[in-house]
Amino acid sequence: MERVFTPLDCLLPAGNLKFCLLILNQPFDRGHFHCLWSKAALRACADGGANHLYHITEGSQDSFLPDYISGDFDSIQPEVKAYYKAKGCELIETMDQDFTDFTKCLQILQKKIEEKGLQIDLIVTLGGLGGRFDQTMASVETLFHATNITPFPVIVIQESSLIYLLQPGKHKLQVNTGLEGSWCGLIPIGSSCDSVTTTGLRWNLANQVLKFGTLVSTSNTYDNSGTVTIKTDKPLLWTMAIKL
Amino acid sequence: MLLVLLWRRPLVGRSAICARISRWAARSYGACLYAAGLPPARRFLPDYISGDFDSIQPEVKAYYKAKGCELIETMDQDFTDFTKCLQILQKKIEEKGLQIDLIVTLGGLGGRFDQTMASVETLFHATNITPFPVIVIQESSLIYLLQPGKHKLQVNTGLEGSWCGLIPIGSSCDSVTTTGLRWNLANQVLKFGTLVSTSNTYDNSGTVTIKTDKPLLWTMAIKL
Repeated sequence: MERVFTPLDCLLPAGNLKFCLLILNQPFDRGHFHCLWSKAALRACADGGANHLYHITEGSQDSFLPDYISGDFDSIQPEVKAYYKAKGCELIETMDQDFTDFTKCLQILQKKIEEKGLQIDLIVTLGGLGGRFDQTMASVETLFHATNITPFPVIVIQESSLIYLLQPGKHKLQVNTGLEGSWCGLIPIGSSCDSVTTTGLRWNLANQVLKFGTLVSTSNTYDNSGTVTIKTDKPLLWTMAIKL
Repeated sequence: MLLVLLWRRPLVGRSAICARISRWAARSYGACLYAAGLPPARRFLPDYISGDFDSIQPEVKAYYKAKGCELIETMDQDFTDFTKCLQILQKKIEEKGLQIDLIVTLGGLGGRFDQTMASVETLFHATNITPFPVIVIQESSLIYLLQPGKHKLQVNTGLEGSWCGLIPIGSSCDSVTTTGLRWNLANQVLKFGTLVSTSNTYDNSGTVTIKTDKPLLWTMAIKL
């Protein structure tokens, strides 16, 4: 069974896919934010993500109220927390130190999607790829855990980068929204992939090994077909550029 | 210890003489310094600039060429500019008979996600290119690939920030044991989807020891 997906559909004002939005504790692009916020079925902040939401919506914070803010609240600023609490946003404290705020926020999101019976196609995460290297890696780790948390694809976007973890099997990515930047890549994070085959890339793979120390596909780009297909035997991280 | 070149963006106080600068750095920092118009006494000229030259600005290239810097074109598309620059660096270290302890890379961890991953990939290749440890630094992050075996990291320079981590980026590690961390590992598996050590920190010993059966990426904060 081939999984068909348009990663950047969520950034198209007239895009078809329905999604929930999760905001992490990192600066994010204003352009992405407004498009994603306006279309999201549910909006959540993970701890300090609320700080960024508060500041980027300065002057009209009450028009951009998250459905909930979750985390251990060691990053959210006191005045930000007080503001959203006074506005009736749900604050959910999650003290479990074995999981990151991102992972815990995703668990809560899935629960709410089920409770509300929401029909959605994916979960979009804003932030998580910049700043501290360990937190970028923690975002990738959450994508691995996500397969046990939610059946929906989870993508992470920050600045001009997107990442999406492909599960073993066949995938077809539509890359013809007009928002695709020039580069893309396939990163065997976590373990080597013994067999990867692609079409639609400038440098395709034909039943090849992808492995750190052997071959990692970076600075790749597209042919003109508008579609990329990937067949992989192990989880494989797809990454691509977004035009800003 | 080779003096390099923790050459920050011009506004930061700490500076050193740049002896080695990758084309990547030349693109960012050479252009910044060139544009800043620093007086001749403080110009920083790299020993060489290498790459496929698809990123270096023409005026920057012309400037350094006129100043006598070596420009080495490397057209091989199977390797990144970083990897190729490292190959040239090792050759020059050998030719000049330099006694050094490590290679420091400035930049490579920010911006494009694929290029951050390409930097990690170069660290994997580095073990076949040079015997010296290679570290990568950008902003407040450092990464360093630990080879299988035992390592002792001194983390008492006063420049260590609060966080650190161990990332099984290329493959899972079946057995990792540490001391010196707030959350130590005892013969544990590190694997994406199971356990990755992030947002870790130090105890007060000033030393971290790590024993690993597979390559494992160490990452730590630098106080800015």
